[in-house]
Amino acid sequence: MALFPLTSNFEGDFVLQLVPVDTEHTMDEVAAAAAVHSVGRRVRDRPGHILRVRRHGSTELLPRNLKVAEAGFKPTETVDIIWQAA
Amino acid sequence: MAVLNRMDWYDLARSTNWTPKYVTEDELFPPKLSGEFGLPLAAWENYDEPYKQTYPEYVKVQREKDAGAYSVKAALERSRIFENADPGWKSVMKAHYGAIARGEYAAASAEARMMRFSKAPGMRNMSTLGCMDEIRHGQMQLYFPHEHVAKDRQIDWAFKAYDTNEWAMIAARHFFDDIMMTRDAISVSIMLTFSFETGFTNMQFLGLAADAAEAGDHTFANLISSIQTDESRHAQIGGPALKVLIENGKKEEAQKRVDIAVWGAWKLFSVLTGPIMDYYTPLEHRKQSFKEFMEEWIVAQFERALTDMGLDLPWYWDIFLKDIGQTHHGMHLGSYFWRPTLWWNPAAGVTPDERAWLEEKYPGWNDTWGQCWDVFIDNVVDGNMAKTYPETLPYVCNMCQLPILGVPGKGWDVKDYPLEYNGRLYHFGSEVDRWVFQQEPERYAGHLSIVDRFLAGMIQPMDLGGALQYMGLAPGEIGDDAHNYAWAEVYRALRETRKAG
Repeated sequence: MALFPLTSNFEGDFVLQLVPVDTEHTMDEVAAAAAVHSVGRRVRDRPGHILRVRRHGSTELLPRNLKVAEAGFKPTETVDIIWQAA
Repeated sequence: MAVLNRMDWYDLARSTNWTPKYVTEDELFPPKLSGEFGLPLAAWENYDEPYKQTYPEYVKVQREKDAGAYSVKAALERSRIFENADPGWKSVMKAHYGAIARGEYAAASAEARMMRFSKAPGMRNMSTLGCMDEIRHGQMQLYFPHEHVAKDRQIDWAFKAYDTNEWAMIAARHFFDDIMMTRDAISVSIMLTFSFETGFTNMQFLGLAADAAEAGDHTFANLISSIQTDESRHAQIGGPALKVLIENGKKEEAQKRVDIAVWGAWKLFSVLTGPIMDYYTPLEHRKQSFKEFMEEWIVAQFERALTDMGLDLPWYWDIFLKDIGQTHHGMHLGSYFWRPTLWWNPAAGVTPDERAWLEEKYPGWNDTWGQCWDVFIDNVVDGNMAKTYPETLPYVCNMCQLPILGVPGKGWDVKDYPLEYNGRLYHFGSEVDRWVFQQEPERYAGHLSIVDRFLAGMIQPMDLGGALQYMGLAPGEIGDDAHNYAWAEVYRALRETRKAG
């Protein structure tokens, strides 16, 4: 358990934001932590969608239950948070 | 005694250069300060300034300029222009004074470096006058706002902004430290005068002078027009230096300096001037969009100046041309959303009429930036104000120190340009910002952005309160909406109409 800084690039938003997460967080929890700073502030919620995480610029979504500690991120690395139809 | 005409003696006097006998040339002109271009003193004697002025002429003209600006101020002191001005206009003044006034003294120091260390006699003469120009600009832009300090605490930022860690000031200092405080005399002439002052100060000062006159603030209009007349003279210091470099086979070095400085200047203006022109200035007073202004004053100006000089357009020109229609919308949305971290009160500028203007000037605005503003506006109308403020930091670029942003909404296109250097992960807002870093990594690698400082525990407590304290923003100074959200009433009314219908 350790605090870990990531950079969120949230689909539909205009700016990268610092998002502190925990190394034990899953990708779903990372997406939820990032959503706090975008959804309902500058990005509308999308009912019927879930949020997925991928490495910045990658097309491959990371497994939802993958933990931050297992993902091999560098501190402050940018991740894309993407809407996916549920 | 008969006095010779200036042109009968100027060139001779200017080129009467000392030939050092007791010290070496490198001791007299240390390469680090004079410029390590390996050109002999004689090469620099060919430097030919296009605007020639003698010291007595300078003093006479400057005295007249000062008399004009100060007398307008004195005459209008009781006019209550400030008290009656649109809040958006007051914000323009506050942003301008804070970002510029103290930087003028820094610029005086940079001019003084050219004055002492340039090997070009003509440049030493021009920058002697330029140095005095910058001192005058510093004095005026501190004296003029002073009368408003008692009326509005944010005006104090004209005096203190430069000494704070407010994020926009970190960005401004990073840029000016790079192009004028830590460069040799010749590089200063290229990066400060040619690259920054030729186009960008023209835009800030001429554009704002026009806006000020429209807003009825003739004191401010006269002040900055007066300043601009100096800028247009000393901005010409760099051109002849570029010519000497190119003639002596140093085009590549010259081009790189131009490319670095023009990009940095652009980024700074995208946050300082873009929001002012397209959002703060009341709709009825807008003459041109920021993009139109950029195209006329910067793009056309540089394309001509660079071609005339024998230089190329910067390699990133296509990126730049695309950016001038985009970046400042994000800079406005960002600075507005993080408004408690500003020393002025930003005007939102997003009423339906203003949005129609934005859509006309920037087709697609409503489907992109407008989408973010729609959510924001709903929150204001619903009274859900907590959601209109941030709870984290935007990630900022390790070069321009400004938020890393792009196009939101339906045209979503936001990119990070990362780089790992000596085990540290750096983030950049564009390919160009990263390229600048890569040209001389050791020059920039040690700097900590506001986010780096936060992560290093230098900002305590690690929340908005701690951040505001770190930035020097006291209660009564922190920014909020310029019009106290009165602009949202029209949206409230529209919603009521829809409900009734």
